[in-house]
This record gives sequence, C-alpha cells and structure tokens, in this order.
Amino acid sequence: MPRKVPLYAAHPLLVDSFATDMVSEQVTANRRAERKQFKLDRARAIAQAAEAAEAAFKEGRVLTVEETGIVIPSAATWKPSRSSSPPPPLSNGPPTSAAQKDQPLDEDIPENLEHLQLTLQEAFFLLWTLDCLTVVDPNTNCAMTLQQIWQRFQQAHLPPYPSHPADPTSLRFDNPFLINYVVYHHYRSLGWVIRNGIKFCVDYLLYKRGPVFHHAEFALVVCPVYEDEDDRQTCPFDLQNVDPFSWTWLSTVNRVNSQVQKTLVLTYVTIPARSRCNAELLASPACLQYFSIREVVLRRFIPARMRD
Amino acid sequence: MDQHPSYAILSPFISKYPRAAGSSFQAYNDLLYAQQWRDLEVIDLPKCSRCGFRGRKPDTNAILSVVPCSLSESLSLSWIHAAFEEFGGPQEVYIAITVEDSSIVYYKISQGIVKPPL
Repeated sequence: MPRKVPLYAAHPLLVDSFATDMVSEQVTANRRAERKQFKLDRARAIAQAAEAAEAAFKEGRVLTVEETGIVIPSAATWKPSRSSSPPPPLSNGPPTSAAQKDQPLDEDIPENLEHLQLTLQEAFFLLWTLDCLTVVDPNTNCAMTLQQIWQRFQQAHLPPYPSHPADPTSLRFDNPFLINYVVYHHYRSLGWVIRNGIKFCVDYLLYKRGPVFHHAEFALVVCPVYEDEDDRQTCPFDLQNVDPFSWTWLSTVNRVNSQVQKTLVLTYVTIPARSRCNAELLASPACLQYFSIREVVLRRFIPARMRD
Repeated sequence: MDQHPSYAILSPFISKYPRAAGSSFQAYNDLLYAQQWRDLEVIDLPKCSRCGFRGRKPDTNAILSVVPCSLSESLSLSWIHAAFEEFGGPQEVYIAITVEDSSIVYYKISQGIVKPPL
C-alpha cells in the first residue's frame, strides 16, 4: 500500500541532514535497532540465569531469583545501555544529504523517486470525475479512451487473464471492479477519503480529511447482494461476503474495530439482475445507476455500561 | 502481458490456472526483478490450482518456496497444507499476497510452532 506521507517531494527538510532523524523511516529504524538490542540483552540474561541454575543444580542446590542477582529485562523495564550505537542514516536517502549540510535549503531538491500506485477504482475516479489522469496502452503507446479503460478495468478480473480482449457482452454486473467502484465513487463524491481497510479486517476505511489528520471514523465491509439469485450460480469471480456471515465473524470484526474506535458499517450493494439489465449497458459507466447502496451501522450495546 | 519476457516462462501455467494468472505473474516479476532472487524456478502445485516458485534470495544459499495468491481469495488450512506437500515438505513456505494496486506482501508460514530467533 502506498505511503501515507510522501517522502521526497514534500520534504525539503530532507536535504538538511539534521532532520533525517525526523523522517518516519528513520524513526522506525531507530526503534527497531533499540528493540533488537533489548532482545539481545534479554537473551543474554536468560542464558546467564540458565547457566547459574544448571551450576547450582549440579551442586545439589536450587537457586532463587534473588540469589543469582540476574535480572531478566522486560520491554517495560529495559533501558538502552550507555552507548548503544544508533542505526546508520538510511542508505537509500538522498545521496546529497551529508554534503548538503551547509547549503541553502532550496538547492538541489532530490529527484522524486517515489511513484504512486493506484487501484483500478482510484484511477478510474481520477480519470472520469476529475479528468487529471491519462492511461497509456503499453502496446500502442497511445492514450486510451474512457470507454476502452472502463472495459479494460472490468476485463482485468475476467478469467482467462485477457491477452486478447473479450467481447463486451461477456461483461457482468457482479464484476468486483464494478462493485468496488460503486462503493468508492459513492463515498468519495460525498467527500470522504477512502483507503484500503485490510489492516482492520474490513474492505475500506473512511477518513474525514485523510489518514494524516485523524484516525478513520468508519470501517466499511462491502456486502454484495444479488437482485436475482440465479446470477450467482454463473459468477466466475472471487466475490467476498456474498453469503450470509456467521455471528462469530461479525463479532470479531466489530470487536477489532471498536478497539480502535471505529464504527463498523455494512455496505450492501445490490447487483442488478441480468434479466432486467442488458449486459451491453456495461460498456459505459452509465450502468452505475442500476446499482444501489444501503448502509447498516453496527455498534456493540453493553446494557450494564451504556445506561445513558 | 504477453509482450512481457516473463510471459514465455509462465504461459503454460497461465493457461492451466487462469484464475491465479494475475497474482502468479505479479509475484514472479517481483521475485525476479525487485527482490532479485537467483535460480528462480516455477513449480506446478495442482492441489493449490496454481504454480509456485522456488529460488534463492540474493547473498543467501537457502532455497525458499513461494506460493502466490490474491487478497480477494479465501485460503484454507488444507490449501496451505497442500502447498507444503507439493513443494516437497520444506520447513517454511512464503505466501505472496498480491493486490490490484500492485502491492505485494509476503507472509512466512512455518511447520509447527517456531520460537523466534532471539
């Protein structure tokens, strides 16, 4: 998943080597080095205690913890000892950082080595509603039309992996790209920032302004519902959460999200019946109007604690 | 996809296991080009309905096994068990989980309970 905080482009501070410690990767590297040192110290202490106990056992005694004087550190009690060397600054940082220490900030901003990875839904939203993206066909090197892109994104889910374009009538309303796009488009046009929710066992997370500003408020689970049950029998895709789920699963997901102060929302997407809607409609985004969305918000009610 | 050099090596498995084609292609290219594994070979895993990969990480000698899958798939313990079997019973197998936005995450699954090294 792409980084939340851009590393190069938005960080003129990077050219100043003083600030390398502030970069999130460096913070993580520091923390990991410390933790590794803690684990080494702990392993050494455990080995010492085991040795002392073995020696005492050979003499026919059993040692108590106080007698050995060895303290096995825990994560809560360990302190970094004297001069635990800090990890070296990141080797893949801008090569100019050390040399640039005395130079003014606006010189030589490092080339932006990061690239943005978009999901098909994000890409299509940018293309269609904001018109700020171009998609180039790698075989012809020409920009693709909106229609071609719309069909191509659906075909990405059709087996066999298309090295040959399938005909539009083989497209289906239960294509995972479509279902996810309906949800993405719906919430994004309402002003929410949508990110992937795999960290919390859900499909999407909704943020009011963005992950950097505040933690997500809502965790979405997308539940596709077939208008016509017969369509489900012919479905060639891996569609999740179509079948009724168990209470165990629901409680688990709700618990995971309550722990992190998010509200669970079940987003039901109704898939129109093939009998009612012609497959040819899928050739353009106009088919989105045939889908509908309903939300069910879930909160755990504890009568003993929630009297007001 | 068929213009890509990896396609020639993977095409028999792509036709045999079309549903796993996307994640197999992505995992293979990541191992070969991004992770720079050496001696990378493709193994047929019929019980898992896909192909897997075996190779060496740069600067190491141990042969590691990888089975690709997509985030939208549901896996089962018997599927994981079959992967171990069809790789010839290694101590660990890596599962390469691929996503639509080309992210890939590797999970290491070991046989039985394994104590961490420290």
